[in-house]
Amino acid sequence: MKNSILSIFALAFMGLITSCGNGSTTTTAADSKDKFKGKTLNILCWEGYADAKFTKPFEDMTGATVKGTYFASSDELIAKLSAGGGAVYDIVTPSPDMAQALVEQDLVQPIDLKKITHYDSLAPILRSMQDVVKNGATYGVPFTWGPDYLVYNADVIKETPTSWNILFDPKYKGKVAVWDDISSIYLAGILNGDAKTDKGEIYNMTDAQLAAAKKKLMELKPQVRKFWTSAGELNDLMKNKEAVVAVGWPLTPATLKKEGMNIKGIIPSEGATGWIDRLMITKATANKELAEMFIDYITKAENIAKVADVTGYSVANNGAARYLSAEQLELTQMNNTQYYFDKLNFWQYVKARNKYNEVWNEVKGGTK
Amino acid sequence: MKPNRSFWLLISPLMLWMIAFLILPYCRILIQSSYTVGEFGALKTDFTLDSYNRFFSKELYYGTLLKTFGLSATVTLCALFLSIPLAYYIAFKAKRNKILLYTLIILPLWVSYIVRAYAWKIILGEEGVLNSFLMYIGLTNQPISVLLYSDVAVIIGMTHIYTPFVLMPIYTAFEQIPKSLVEASKDLGAGRWTTFRKIVFPLSLPGIIAGGTFAFVLSLGDFLAPILLGGPNTLFIANIFQNMFGTSNDKPLGSAIGIILLVIVILVLEVSSRAEKRFSSLES
Repeated sequence: MKNSILSIFALAFMGLITSCGNGSTTTTAADSKDKFKGKTLNILCWEGYADAKFTKPFEDMTGATVKGTYFASSDELIAKLSAGGGAVYDIVTPSPDMAQALVEQDLVQPIDLKKITHYDSLAPILRSMQDVVKNGATYGVPFTWGPDYLVYNADVIKETPTSWNILFDPKYKGKVAVWDDISSIYLAGILNGDAKTDKGEIYNMTDAQLAAAKKKLMELKPQVRKFWTSAGELNDLMKNKEAVVAVGWPLTPATLKKEGMNIKGIIPSEGATGWIDRLMITKATANKELAEMFIDYITKAENIAKVADVTGYSVANNGAARYLSAEQLELTQMNNTQYYFDKLNFWQYVKARNKYNEVWNEVKGGTK
Repeated sequence: MKPNRSFWLLISPLMLWMIAFLILPYCRILIQSSYTVGEFGALKTDFTLDSYNRFFSKELYYGTLLKTFGLSATVTLCALFLSIPLAYYIAFKAKRNKILLYTLIILPLWVSYIVRAYAWKIILGEEGVLNSFLMYIGLTNQPISVLLYSDVAVIIGMTHIYTPFVLMPIYTAFEQIPKSLVEASKDLGAGRWTTFRKIVFPLSLPGIIAGGTFAFVLSLGDFLAPILLGGPNTLFIANIFQNMFGTSNDKPLGSAIGIILLVIVILVLEVSSRAEKRFSSLES
């Protein structure tokens, strides 16, 4: 008797959980500022993509509130998106290791490119990528791109590093910071020469290659001060000189330069992985029109220039270059996009993601 | 006594709360631990013991659990070594400032956990307060890097965070010891140490066990201190648990770890409550 009551409760409760999050409403087309008043645009994005510098003007323009939730790894994106029941977030900014997956998983919806008036001014090389196109419909608008490169404190390391080997230099033992993410396995693959003939191989490693990558990372581990879990944490590590050399994004030099530190980033001779982040609209959004407006707004040259300013990333609209200083052009490589683009090994979807994650956990746990 | 209407009225909010937010989630976790996982963490409603099998066959999982035991035990011992003398002092020695001292111990509990962990970052860092001080007085000319981002840092941080939980029951136990017993012991010629060993310690043992259990169980499930203060080698079982839900999208294995931890914690609590009863000689 007791059991059956309990299971009725359980069923009712689970029903309650699953039924939350299917609610969606349709918006009617009527252009007035009041329409979006009180509405909140929820963006699930990488750090730096919801900075007030560019979200505030949008809020002023539409009357809506923009709320950014950061994720610090692609896996976290999936976890947050599925845990939220879908309807929590309106826009997501996945990297190419997850973008196609989101399309395939039916978590995002096709974007009406007519509504994105600046779409044609975005870099053709980014627009032409097919991973976010399905049945002729485009699911993602190019936003930013950049490297996972070598970030170093130029006040401590006077000579410009040319190789990733600096991470293994005994001089910097205990001064190295590495991202707490499976992308570290990609890097180990590059160092093991796995990407020499086929760039995509590091995203599809054999068991032997994975074992070799793990060995490489275990070699690196005694050098590591901290596996950083967010760009904010890496910034703190560099700022407090706990780390002087790291694997990081241009966001770190961009942020710390503004605080007067001499932090630089470089793509070493072995190459580096990189990412192209897209703006996507979630399938379950209740604010489709507002989301379209935001994507249209943020891809405008003068607005996306602010994104470049905050993050130090290359942005999809080359017209942004006009709004950037010489120093910003240097950091974002917006004056040199093709060269920079060719040097990077862009993330791809990793089929054996669980295996990669387990190997990475084993590296952290120091076990077989 | 036959339960009447007011009994059910009083008890039902609590029961509903417990069922909705404790029992049912545990059921869900238990059921989920037998599922398998497809691409992108999609759950497949199988019924296997696969996740448990993986847990006990991979060193990454059971090894981390054992390591977590070791670290939690260290935290517990450190907290006990700090708490017993301190509680003793407050209970028996301090006269005027008793309340003030006790409040000072409890005070950190009013500060958010994260703030306390971050405070340790500021204290223990290479350019932190402690290292700067040590270098200033010339004890070392190089910052001691093991103080932060290491197991040591996690133990220091957790000991600080969990000491109030240990101190409170011990202090209460000390307070309940009739002063006459202590006086009688001294009258019969026992010194301070003998009195502590033969009278105070045995009588306060239930409090000490309760405090130790708090520290052990709380540090067993902690994942924040290892993230904030731990180094590249620090990995607690709770970190793997969080990782399964937060990044690896392997909810079945995460649930299995949750159930295993739950069973362990229930066992620890059961053993400790039996021990408390066994050693509580005051009531008898």
